[in-house]
Amino acid sequence: MRILLWAEFQKLRRSSIILFTIFATILIAVIVFVGGITTVTAEQLTTDTFGWYMTITQVWATMFVLPAVIALLGSYMICREEQDDTMKSLRLIPVNEAKLTAAKMIVAFIFSILVYLLLFAITFSIEAALHFSDLSMKVVFDFLKMYLIEGVGVFLAVSPIIAIVPYLKKSYWLALVMAEIYSFAGLFMSMSNTSKTLYPITAIFGVSGYYETTTSNWIVSFGVLLLCGCLSFFILAGLNRSRKGNKHNEKTI
Amino acid sequence: MLKLVQIEFCKLRRKKLIWLMLLSAFIMPFFAFLYFGYLGQTDIAPANFYKWSAFGFTLFIILPFILGLFGTMLMHDENRYDMLKQLWIVPVSKMGYFFSKFFVVLIYSIGFMLINALASVLFSVIPNYVSFGWGSIAFLLERSLEIAVLTALAVLPILAVSALQKGYILPICITLIYVLAGFLITPVNSCLHPLSCISVIIARNGAISELTLPQNSVPLALVSIGLWVAASILLVNIKLGKRK
Repeated sequence: MRILLWAEFQKLRRSSIILFTIFATILIAVIVFVGGITTVTAEQLTTDTFGWYMTITQVWATMFVLPAVIALLGSYMICREEQDDTMKSLRLIPVNEAKLTAAKMIVAFIFSILVYLLLFAITFSIEAALHFSDLSMKVVFDFLKMYLIEGVGVFLAVSPIIAIVPYLKKSYWLALVMAEIYSFAGLFMSMSNTSKTLYPITAIFGVSGYYETTTSNWIVSFGVLLLCGCLSFFILAGLNRSRKGNKHNEKTI
Repeated sequence: MLKLVQIEFCKLRRKKLIWLMLLSAFIMPFFAFLYFGYLGQTDIAPANFYKWSAFGFTLFIILPFILGLFGTMLMHDENRYDMLKQLWIVPVSKMGYFFSKFFVVLIYSIGFMLINALASVLFSVIPNYVSFGWGSIAFLLERSLEIAVLTALAVLPILAVSALQKGYILPICITLIYVLAGFLITPVNSCLHPLSCISVIIARNGAISELTLPQNSVPLALVSIGLWVAASILLVNIKLGKRK
């Protein structure tokens, strides 16, 4: 497994997707900052308010960009072997396909956490520059915890979409559309308490502590995210089984 | 040119996915229906409902994202399988090739917005949120067509990037960033990003209430879109011209 993980990281180093994700993360932080220093109405909260910047940036990033980027990365890693026709060579080595898929999912998971850590580092630096005297260790750790949980939560929430991609074959574009609409719909799901608790994207905010929730709602939201993870596991397990079935059929022919 | 556009549509017949993507035109009318249902409001001003269903997130997020993706899909296969060489041999003019893709995006955009307008009317009139009136429907259709044409022009930079790239990762990442930038930059400067400029144009004469924009100059918005379009065409012209 360690070798597979190492190989996946090596492959990603060659891809431009990492650079673009870093660029996208920085750009989100910059755009929110620019929005925060410009006031349109008197009631608008700005970067002058302590904690506003760190709070708002993660919400915009989670609602509009990062789930789609993480889904894109996951689906890209899983589909590229079939697309680049390297799957045959991997089978010849032989590489265990279940382990290979697991390695790709682990890389996507690590990547999701790293993206949120990067976002935290940027927002924290700016917040420290603006309100250094207001910062305390507790506040910093609370935000760090929030960002880390969101990194994990976003991966779990989009994992079923990543897992569906190999079934879509050439229609992997659909996964991206699904991920974007799925995260964007979170804006409307926060209207009611029930949908806010049950919808995976808004459930992330409940678990991370951005939304104030009751303990029972927190457990339900946590369960929803775990369910998403389990769902993707079963989808991928089904995929590996169907691939093995295909290979068996080829042998018998 | 017409023949090129026709060929593009013939190629699209093989891609069932793009027709599925049109379903996303129903998203905002449906959410507007849920939103006003949740608030328990009836007798809503038509412009207020349409602001949610057609002039808000549809304009800023959904349509540009779908068009960006659609443009990338149109360009990707030919770039990936290196079919451009064969097209140049035919010969197909390089700018003709680019504009044929643009016209397909434009027609797709018009189709998308017409579906969105139809869904907006259905989701507002059937539950009795908005009283039926030809005047408001004509207004919705007029602004929807404006959004369709202007958004197709606004995604020209993405189409240009897709035309110059073999991969699909960069154009898609750019689409995501471009759409988010347009959405977040609007309250700061509404004449900088093409998507912000569209909101200025469609909200002209105070037609859409409660839409606070820092700049309201329609000519400036048109000039801004024109500059983005000209820069995209110039970039494609230079880069495709160098390509063999």
